[in-house]
Amino acid sequence: MMKSRARIAVIRFPGVNCEDETRRAVESRGMDCDIFMWNGSHERLVEYDGYVLPGGFTYQDRVRAGAIAAKDRVVDCLFDEAQAGKPIIGICNGAQILLESGMVPGITPGKVEMGLARNIMPDRDGYYTRWTHLRIESDSSCVTCVMSKGDVTSIPTAHAEGRFVTTTEGLIDRLFDNGQVVMTYAGLKGEAEPAFPYNPNGSTRGIAAVSNPSGNAVAMMPHPERAVRLAQVPESLPGRWGAERRAAAGSRRILTEPGPGGEVFKSLGAFIAERLRGKRGDA
Amino acid sequence: MSAVTAPSVSVIRVLGVKDDELLRRLAHAGLSFTIGEARRVAALLGRDPTVVEGNIFNTMWSEHCSYKSSREVLGEYLPTEGTGVVLGPGEDAGIVRLATVNGKSYCIAIAHESHNHPSQVVPNEGAATGIGGIVRDVYCMGADVVGVLDPLRFGDPMGENGERTREIVHGVVEGIWQYANALGVPNLGGDVYFDSSFDENCLVNVVALGLVAEDEIVRSRIPLEAKDSDYDVILVGKPTDPSGFGGATFASRILDEERALDDKYAVQVPDPFLKRMLAVATREVLKLVRDSGAVIGFKDLGAGGIACATSELGAAAGLGVRIDLSRVIVAESNLPAEVIACSETQERYCLVVPRELSPEVLRIYNEVFELPEICHGSGASVIGEVIQEARFVLEYAGATVCDASTEQITTGVCYKRESRGREPVCKEDVLPDGLDPRAVLLDVLGSVNVASREHVYRHYECEVKGCAIVRPGEADAGVIAPIPGAAVGVAVACDGNPFYGAVDSYQAGAVAVAESVRNVAAVGAHPIALTDCLNFGNPEVPEVFHDFVEAVRGIGDAARGIGLKDSGEPIPVISGNVSFYNQSSGGSAILPSPIVCCVGRLVDVSRHVTMGFKSGGNSIYLLGRRSAKLGASAVLRTVAGDATASVPEVDFDDERHMMAAVTDIAESGLAASCHDISDGGVAVAVAEMVLTSPEDSRVGARISVPRLDGSPAALAGETGPSGFAGTRESEAKRDLVLLFSEAGGYLLEVAPDDEDRLLNVLEDRGVWYSRVGTTVAGVGLSFTGIAGGDFTLSVEELARPWTDGATEAMR
Repeated sequence: MMKSRARIAVIRFPGVNCEDETRRAVESRGMDCDIFMWNGSHERLVEYDGYVLPGGFTYQDRVRAGAIAAKDRVVDCLFDEAQAGKPIIGICNGAQILLESGMVPGITPGKVEMGLARNIMPDRDGYYTRWTHLRIESDSSCVTCVMSKGDVTSIPTAHAEGRFVTTTEGLIDRLFDNGQVVMTYAGLKGEAEPAFPYNPNGSTRGIAAVSNPSGNAVAMMPHPERAVRLAQVPESLPGRWGAERRAAAGSRRILTEPGPGGEVFKSLGAFIAERLRGKRGDA
Repeated sequence: MSAVTAPSVSVIRVLGVKDDELLRRLAHAGLSFTIGEARRVAALLGRDPTVVEGNIFNTMWSEHCSYKSSREVLGEYLPTEGTGVVLGPGEDAGIVRLATVNGKSYCIAIAHESHNHPSQVVPNEGAATGIGGIVRDVYCMGADVVGVLDPLRFGDPMGENGERTREIVHGVVEGIWQYANALGVPNLGGDVYFDSSFDENCLVNVVALGLVAEDEIVRSRIPLEAKDSDYDVILVGKPTDPSGFGGATFASRILDEERALDDKYAVQVPDPFLKRMLAVATREVLKLVRDSGAVIGFKDLGAGGIACATSELGAAAGLGVRIDLSRVIVAESNLPAEVIACSETQERYCLVVPRELSPEVLRIYNEVFELPEICHGSGASVIGEVIQEARFVLEYAGATVCDASTEQITTGVCYKRESRGREPVCKEDVLPDGLDPRAVLLDVLGSVNVASREHVYRHYECEVKGCAIVRPGEADAGVIAPIPGAAVGVAVACDGNPFYGAVDSYQAGAVAVAESVRNVAAVGAHPIALTDCLNFGNPEVPEVFHDFVEAVRGIGDAARGIGLKDSGEPIPVISGNVSFYNQSSGGSAILPSPIVCCVGRLVDVSRHVTMGFKSGGNSIYLLGRRSAKLGASAVLRTVAGDATASVPEVDFDDERHMMAAVTDIAESGLAASCHDISDGGVAVAVAEMVLTSPEDSRVGARISVPRLDGSPAALAGETGPSGFAGTRESEAKRDLVLLFSEAGGYLLEVAPDDEDRLLNVLEDRGVWYSRVGTTVAGVGLSFTGIAGGDFTLSVEELARPWTDGATEAMR
């Protein structure tokens, strides 16, 4: 029997702090969404069509950001669901969990192949918040499947440890070749591999989001849930989204029209619909 | 008379002890009482106090908890009531109505405090626990915290103590971001000033605001229902440890370098992770309470710990409590009773709930959210019960260690301090001759108190919760839309120019109100409430106390004089804090620093206005007369090294009319951008409007010196420097004054098609205005018709000093 609406679980680990707006962002794209406690029942968890690991500071960032949550039993369950092809988006701290659990990039599933290291920024350290321009490098992932490769969008980032790094030789090239690099930071005019502050953390080759080989598990540092409505876009933002925002200034439209982050959740919905169609086709 | 009889309970001998011996005993017990206060405690109790009682009274009667020097003054001058006020000062946060959405009344709860001494001693933890304390004050009203702001004052980063100052700046900013970002509350604004008077005593003020439905407000008192049924007292949060023991008394005396190490133990240890878990779990508890139809009391534990929180809960209802300190979850064994009772361990709340609800409340905290497992040793436990007699009883290991009337403990003491005016500052504010206006603008833009604060605010989360509409750096106030799906917006800003304090405390108070109001109005919001944090030196010094009284008088007069828009009501001051004893060990007080926060309402948040210029070919209007008085101004500090000269006086009528006009203009959608005039005057304001235009489509401006009807612009202020007219040199000075005067006002950008409607509003509202220029796409900033010579600066030339000017001081 066909389900009319996709059901998404936003996982609440101890210390996450973006679960409420992430739920609203999912709901804004016509999906049902529950906040699911980390200690909830796994029988219920597997009933969902997709999962979001929201931002925050799980387990106080003890050891490393995301490191403790990655060992949580609930992540084992999510690992299996990702292997089965369900979409899983890790945002910011959620991305750190997906990398620490070896779900992403998942060349060898379960092996930790990449890390998110401390930001490297000229003349400053610690946390850095900024709206970033992003180039869409893959249009087949569960966060970009309604976008086109080469598009430039804008989504805010806010973190202290967001620099994608690896010690595995050749891995970065391989991820680009496989289409597993989903988004990269772009310059003011959309140019690739920009310097700080357009690359806000010194990430290798400007990588902002990475997926597993199938594109259904994505670790992304930018926060799309903070950009689902036009009103959330800064009026002075450069680029296409800033111009759209200014064109709508003073109008109630800004409260209802989607913002750039909305495309990410629209992709999630489309990815699930496509997957369910495929499954019915198989049957 | 007393239940305190067990021989094991130690007492502080007061009765029949001579003064010098008593002083020695008090010092030995670590109490900061005066001899008179100690004797008063003994008289109230009718016996010698126990050690626990001594510590409780010592804390509750500290300046920090009792407002013993300030209470009368605050009561005399500040308007605290109004038709929109749900709860004025007195509980943990003030509450004001925001809007009714779908039949539900929503309110803003707001609290404003200082964490100055802890931040000077241990900057990171001091600032972090400042955030931790202020958000608890808002959470415990049943509200969800939707924003924090941080007004900060530091020493001279390049002065004698520059290295230590820069360490403190770094530590404080780090403490704020590490705590607030982890907790997940957005930072909506604040400000930073540097002056050598803060070298040995920085100011870290914190504001938190929360959203709460009016019918879901929880009070910080035992519910009256407890008169008829059994109520438990539940303590939840971090296990109690000795941290912060003596914190309130530490905040109520002068910092002393030699005691710095001891003082470190008076600073609490922050844990934002646990705070977040408590916030989420408490949301579930409050839902349970609402669903069951019960009424509870809820209070955070701050200064004075368990003793202060539970006695105040009781006193507010005329009821008593009996607490068994043995039932408090502790982090280490063998803690003395007075430490358990008075330590200021962070991340704790006290709930007073009907006994039948207690098991479910404990289950939510301890089992559903697994507090004891995920945050070692934390959790919820019943520690006592409500008693009908209005007494505060503490038991420990089977003995009664405190038995006093709740009223005696919480009513406390009150002092009438001596007040004596200072010699007025009478320096002439004449600018040096031969200044190059272009160089002056670049110097002022790059000066440490004017340059961009981007280096600081980019450390702070501003978009978590998804409510952000205007972020720090984009406008004069932060704007959020906190009710999902509703169009109503909240604007908030805080202000307090310390250099006014150096000259005239009354004006410092008044201008703090006026500027915070302007900041909120500049984004298009109507002010609905104020809070204040009053930072001063030792109130026992008559000149310092006079500064305090004058500042409070200035705040009160401005709140009444400006008032709510189109209403006879004052803007109510609904919450606040007084911080005394801010001075160096050498005895010099900080600049008198009244800091005011203003909250405003946007009926339709889509009509908010930001400060960056939007497009070329628009007109730029100046609202508000310039003043010849340059006291406290950035230009005088920059070119003369000192600005202790007479300051522009706030004209409440002008401010009221301008606020009304600017918000009318915003609501009608006539303003493309708006920026208030403050540090650096018109020249800096217009430069900032250029510098905050979109980076890929810069909008510059051509500005002429403000004039009125073709004649030299009216200069407000009767005692300003005379003889401007005539010589070229004096005309050049006049133009500098006009460009850099910090008298209150606004700059507005308006499209040509909207100009007539804009002028109608300005005329209707009786606002002084002058068209001062035009926006120009793609180029920098030109000043024309200046006696000192026209000049143009590219965006890059403006950006360099403004971007870099304060960075060195902040790392």
